[in-house]
Amino acid sequence: MKPFLLAATTIAATSLFSGCSSTGVKNPSGTPVTEMKADERGFVTGTGVESQDLVAVTDKMARSILSLPAIATAATPPRIVLEPVQNDTRFPISKDIFLTRLRTQLNSKALGKVVFLAREHMTALEKEREMKRAGQVTSTTDPSVQEFKGADYFLTGKLQGMTTRTKAGTSDYVLYSFQLINPRTSEIVWEDVAEIKKQGLEDAVYR
Amino acid sequence: MATPWTFARLTRLLRCCLPAGLAAGVIGLAAGCATDSYKNVPLTGNPLTDAPVAIEKGPARDRVLWEYRAGLAALREGNYELAKHYLDDAVTRLSNLYGPDASAKQARGQFSAEAKKTFLGEPYERVMAFYYRGILYWHDGEPDNARACFRTGEIMDSDTAERKYAGDYVLLDYLDGYITSRLGGDGADAIKRALDTAKLWKPPAFTNKANVMVFLDYGRGPEKFATGQYGEELRFRGGHSPARSAQVKVAGALGKAVPYDDILFQATTRGGRVMDHVLANKAVFKTTTSAVGDVAIVSGAILASQRNTQVAGLATLGVGIISKIVSATTTPAADTRTWENLPLYISFVALELPPGPQTLTVEFLDAANAPLPGATKTVHLTVPADSRDTVIYVSDQSKTPQTL
Repeated sequence: MKPFLLAATTIAATSLFSGCSSTGVKNPSGTPVTEMKADERGFVTGTGVESQDLVAVTDKMARSILSLPAIATAATPPRIVLEPVQNDTRFPISKDIFLTRLRTQLNSKALGKVVFLAREHMTALEKEREMKRAGQVTSTTDPSVQEFKGADYFLTGKLQGMTTRTKAGTSDYVLYSFQLINPRTSEIVWEDVAEIKKQGLEDAVYR
Repeated sequence: MATPWTFARLTRLLRCCLPAGLAAGVIGLAAGCATDSYKNVPLTGNPLTDAPVAIEKGPARDRVLWEYRAGLAALREGNYELAKHYLDDAVTRLSNLYGPDASAKQARGQFSAEAKKTFLGEPYERVMAFYYRGILYWHDGEPDNARACFRTGEIMDSDTAERKYAGDYVLLDYLDGYITSRLGGDGADAIKRALDTAKLWKPPAFTNKANVMVFLDYGRGPEKFATGQYGEELRFRGGHSPARSAQVKVAGALGKAVPYDDILFQATTRGGRVMDHVLANKAVFKTTTSAVGDVAIVSGAILASQRNTQVAGLATLGVGIISKIVSATTTPAADTRTWENLPLYISFVALELPPGPQTLTVEFLDAANAPLPGATKTVHLTVPADSRDTVIYVSDQSKTPQTL
C-alpha cells in the first residue's frame, strides 16, 4: 500500500504546487533599472503623452522655428515670451515641460538667434528692481531706467486629442500644435503641428 | 501470495491516499503562497493607517487597491497632498495597462484565482480614481488637467456591453463641458451629452464666474460578491445612503447638491466582462475534470478488482485521482477585491463668492429633505482675490471641521 500512498501524495503535491508556482510568469524577480534614451520607446508604455513624444515634437518644432526667415535673418535676435501650453486631451500632463524643452533646444541650437524673456520670474525680478531702486542692494546700472524688455513674439502651444475605445482596444490621437504670435499685430507668424497616434489593448483580465 | 485486489480494499486505499495527497498539496499550496497573504500585515480598518503597511508588506498586486482607499480617505481628512500622492501612483499604473502582463496571464490560468492579478479595479473604480485625481488637479489650479482626468474617466466607462450605458457619467461630461467653457472653449457638446444622459437630476447651468467649486459625495458605494457554483460570477450589491441630497451654505449663498451619478448603477450596468468568459470556462473545466475523475476512479476500482484487468484498472484509477486533483486545484473564483470606501452618489456645486475668509457648511438631507443629525460638515476657507478657483471636496464621511 505504501508505494500507492507515496505516489498519490507526490502527484497531489506536484499538481498543487504547480498551480501556485510562478510558472509562465515573466521576470518574477522584476527588471533592474534600465537607463534609456528619452526618445526611446520603453517597455512601460501607454497610449498617452510620453517622453519620446515630447522629444520628437519639440525637436521638430525647434527645427521649424529656426528655419523661419523672421528668425534666421533677423538683424537683432527677436525676444520671445513663452505662454503656457493648453492641454485639451484626455491625458493629464506637465504642460511646462514642452516649453522648457523647446526653449532649451532653441537656446542650444539657435546660437543667439533668439532670446527668451523670463516672464515667469517677473515677481522676483520686480522685487529685485525695487530693492535696487530703494538702495537696499547694490546696482551696476541706473535702476530707475526701465530695462525689462518687451516681447517680439509669444510662443505657445496646444495639445488636442481624439480617443476611440472599443472591444478591440483603445486608440489615441494627439495633435501637438505650436504658434509664434506677434503681440503687436496679433499675427500668427509661424505655426507647425506634429501628430502621434497610439493604440493598445489591455489583457483580458482587465476587460 | 499477494492478497487479491478487492473493491473494498481499493476503497480503503482511496480513502487513505486521496486525503493524504490532498493534504500534502494543500500544505504545499499554503507554503508556496505564504508571501502573498496578509498574514504578517496588521490591519486596523483605517485605510490611512493600513495602506502604508499593506503596500510595504502585503501582496504587491493589491498596491493600487490600497492607494485608492488611502487616497480617498486622505481627501476626506482634507489632506489633499497625501491624496495626490496615493492617487497619482494609482492613475499612472492605470494609464499603462496595455500589452502583456505577467500577473494577468497568471490570473487567466486554470490554477490561479482571478484575484492573483494586479488590482486595477472594475471600470467604475477606475473611473472614480480619475474623478478624484481630477478634483485634485483643479484644486492645484490646473483645470485643463482636471478635464483630462474627467475625460479619461468617461473613456474608462466606454466599453460596456450595452452601448446606452457607455460613457454615461453625467458629472464627468458636465465638468468636461463646464471647464471647456470656462477656459474659453465651446463646451456645449459635452454639456448636452450630460443633460441627455442624466437619469437622476440634470445639472444646472452654473455660471462661468463661479470661483468656488464644491465636490460632494455621500452614501456607501457598491461591494462585490461572487455567485455561481464556484463563485465564478462577479456581482455587485450594497449602495445604501441615508442622504439623498445635500445643501451647501456659505456667505448667504445656497447650493443644492443633488446626486448626478449613482455608482452602484454604474457598476451594475457595465455588463459582462471578457474575464467572465475565462472564469466560466474555468468552471466548466473544473466540473468536467471532477466528473471525469469520479468516473475514472469508480471504473478503475472495478477493473482493478479483477485479476485480468488489474493493471488497466490501476491506470484508470490513477487518471481519476489526477483528474480529481486537477479539478480541485482549478480556481474559477471571481476577484471580489473592492474599493469599499467609495460613495454611492456624486454631486457638484459651483458658487460665486467674494474674496476673503469664508465658512462653508454642508448639510446632508434625507428623503424628506431634513438634515441628517450629526452629518453636517464645516469647512473654513479663504477665497483668493485673484482669478484662481477654490476647489473643495466634502463627503458625508469627511472629517469636520476642516480648515483649508
